[in-house]
Amino acid sequence: MIRYNRNVKEGLTGYLFIAPQFLLFLIFVVYPIVEGLRLSLYKVQYRTETFVGFDNYAALFGDPVFFKAVWNTVIFVVAIVLLTVAFSFFVGSAVFDKNAKYVSFIRGSYYIPVMVSMVVMSMVWSFLLNPANGLISYMAREMEMSTVNLLGNKSTVLPVVIFVTFATNVGQAIILYIAAMIGVPKDLFEAAEVDGASRLHVIRHILLPLVKPTTIYITIINIIAVLKIFVVIQLLTGGGPNNASVTLMYYLYNNAFKYNQLGVASAVGVIMFLLTLLLSVPQLKAMFNDK
Amino acid sequence: MLKKRAMTVLTAALALSVAAGCSGANSNSNSAGSADSAGGTSGAGKKEKVELSLWLTPQWKGVMDATEDGADYDSFFLYAADKFKKQYDKYDVKVNVQVVAGDQRDELLNVNLNGGTPPDMFFESVFAMGDYVHRGALAPLTDIVDDAARKDIAQGYWDNVTFGKDVYFYPFAHNPGTLAYNADIFRAAGLDSLVGGENEIKTWTLDEYNRILETLKTKLPKDKYPNAYPMALYALNNQGDTWNLAYLRMFGNKFFDDKNNLAVDDADGIKAAEWLKKVYDSGYSNPGAESVSSNDANAMFQNQQLGISFTNAVLYNNAKADMKAGKSPSFDMRLANIPSASGKPLAFTYVVGTALFNTGDKARMEASKDFIKFFSTDPELVKASKNSIPVRSSVASEFASQFPLFTAYDANAANMFSFTGNVAGYSELRQVLYPELQAMYTGEKTPAQAIKDYQSKGNAVLQKARESSVIKP
Repeated sequence: MIRYNRNVKEGLTGYLFIAPQFLLFLIFVVYPIVEGLRLSLYKVQYRTETFVGFDNYAALFGDPVFFKAVWNTVIFVVAIVLLTVAFSFFVGSAVFDKNAKYVSFIRGSYYIPVMVSMVVMSMVWSFLLNPANGLISYMAREMEMSTVNLLGNKSTVLPVVIFVTFATNVGQAIILYIAAMIGVPKDLFEAAEVDGASRLHVIRHILLPLVKPTTIYITIINIIAVLKIFVVIQLLTGGGPNNASVTLMYYLYNNAFKYNQLGVASAVGVIMFLLTLLLSVPQLKAMFNDK
Repeated sequence: MLKKRAMTVLTAALALSVAAGCSGANSNSNSAGSADSAGGTSGAGKKEKVELSLWLTPQWKGVMDATEDGADYDSFFLYAADKFKKQYDKYDVKVNVQVVAGDQRDELLNVNLNGGTPPDMFFESVFAMGDYVHRGALAPLTDIVDDAARKDIAQGYWDNVTFGKDVYFYPFAHNPGTLAYNADIFRAAGLDSLVGGENEIKTWTLDEYNRILETLKTKLPKDKYPNAYPMALYALNNQGDTWNLAYLRMFGNKFFDDKNNLAVDDADGIKAAEWLKKVYDSGYSNPGAESVSSNDANAMFQNQQLGISFTNAVLYNNAKADMKAGKSPSFDMRLANIPSASGKPLAFTYVVGTALFNTGDKARMEASKDFIKFFSTDPELVKASKNSIPVRSSVASEFASQFPLFTAYDANAANMFSFTGNVAGYSELRQVLYPELQAMYTGEKTPAQAIKDYQSKGNAVLQKARESSVIKP
């Protein structure tokens, strides 16, 4: 009995320690999720809320722009995550064992765009790409080329957005990879060298498996980040031309704040939440299994 | 043991303080404005404190004139609030004025409406705010409109601000929408004969207009005006879309039917869309209209990169003020009507006025109403409407000799069409047009298909909005 009381007391101390954070988690994460779920079943009009069941979901599935947004989001997630993981692994594996000053320089160079706000980056790109008075179109005109409008062309707008987002985010992944690779025990590389392994062999059979948790982590955080891609769309393309670059988050924003369809926007939020959960759970499982 | 106990107490205190902080934030959640009865009542010899918020989109700078020292978009309302406070005996009023960008208006309002913190008042073009009447977010102002105001402001303006039986916006000024053109560019291209008078709103026939576009494209000296284009076309978002709507009426389409449904999908509507597409494809407009906003177009016009652009009275005056202050290149800027196939030009106007939000706070709503009536009727303050076009005939006649364009605008009133911005769902309808124009300019859809899709999507939006409107016809 005394032992039980002691256990409870010790547990209580622990719970009290995590209580402030848990309270914030409940207020700022759990409550909005529950409220979002509830609102997705209502039609909201200023001060009145009417229960409409799954009407908001039905409206979503009857809107071709929603499917366009889902498709574009999937393309962004796949392309940006693949590019980020592949490029950052390539840069990391190329420089991690070089001179410390050189590694710092590379890390710093790639990290600068991460520190610059996405809003600023988008505005700079917007200035460069504006078809009427942007720098790129001006140079194209000066070189007697035809009008360049990468953001107004359905086939180029997605690659441009993918490149801008990738260029802004890749620094974070490079930092993580270099840190993970520096942490790989040196004796493994020495043993491989003695056995006459090539650089490619070392990367494939030593680095790749040993930084797998980092790869999974980078993949998860990038999937979650890209699922929420918004600023670059809002400032660079406005979802256009003709919804060619609309994403789920932009679609949600439009419904919530431009069309005042709070119920429909909440339904999009619920779908995004489920999608993120679906994509993250297997990867989190893999990460925990490894540990 | 003592240490452990101390830590436990500390953790509990931290958790409690977080909870207290949260509840404190909740109790003070209404950031838009507040009525503080703790400040005392008139019975105690002190006036009750009332804090009001007034939002506006950029209109004119300065109290009366953009040339004043420190002139800004909020100058007029700060001055009006100060004057109001000095003579107001019901409450001790403080008015917080906030200028919001036009393209952020709906986002900001929707966030604040859904969060229960709408502003008390909003000064804006009526057509952009009509949806808030239909949603039940605005309160009627009929009881503060007196006979003197009814006499001084023409019935047409009252019709514009009346929804159902009630007045929801107190009209202050109006902004006629026209075209602006660079007369210097016209002359450089040899179009002297088509340049109108300095104080004239020039009317061209459609043939003349097409000739202007072609001449500007082929004969404008490139050394003097490098990278200049004949006219502005834009479709990035809904900003400045009334001009796009006007272009779609150029061949006689009525746009709305008797039941306020879109009726743009007919031979005239399609012809107008084909005309727009031809202008774009022939290089008679700036390139990339699908990715260019009206703000971009306005900046290009001010930098002499466009021969013809869109404007309204406030934009025109602001552009003139910028030229005078050396903020933008100076050139001979003049006004023209949007031409039409029939020869009768197309013109429209935005009535600008103040709306009262239904915040549910009696004191704030009462003080707001008094403030709206004060600055909309005060003989000194209403003179600021000269910065666009006054709705009051007394002000218009007082300034007629000083602003010769007032007479031109007045004469142009015969060419006005109503773009029916008061229908339920107009704000969402505005989000339907520009994607279709983008599809048309990029060649994804033919003009006929774009018009057809605009009509069917637009009518679905209008139907849905009508069903949930609180205003019953």
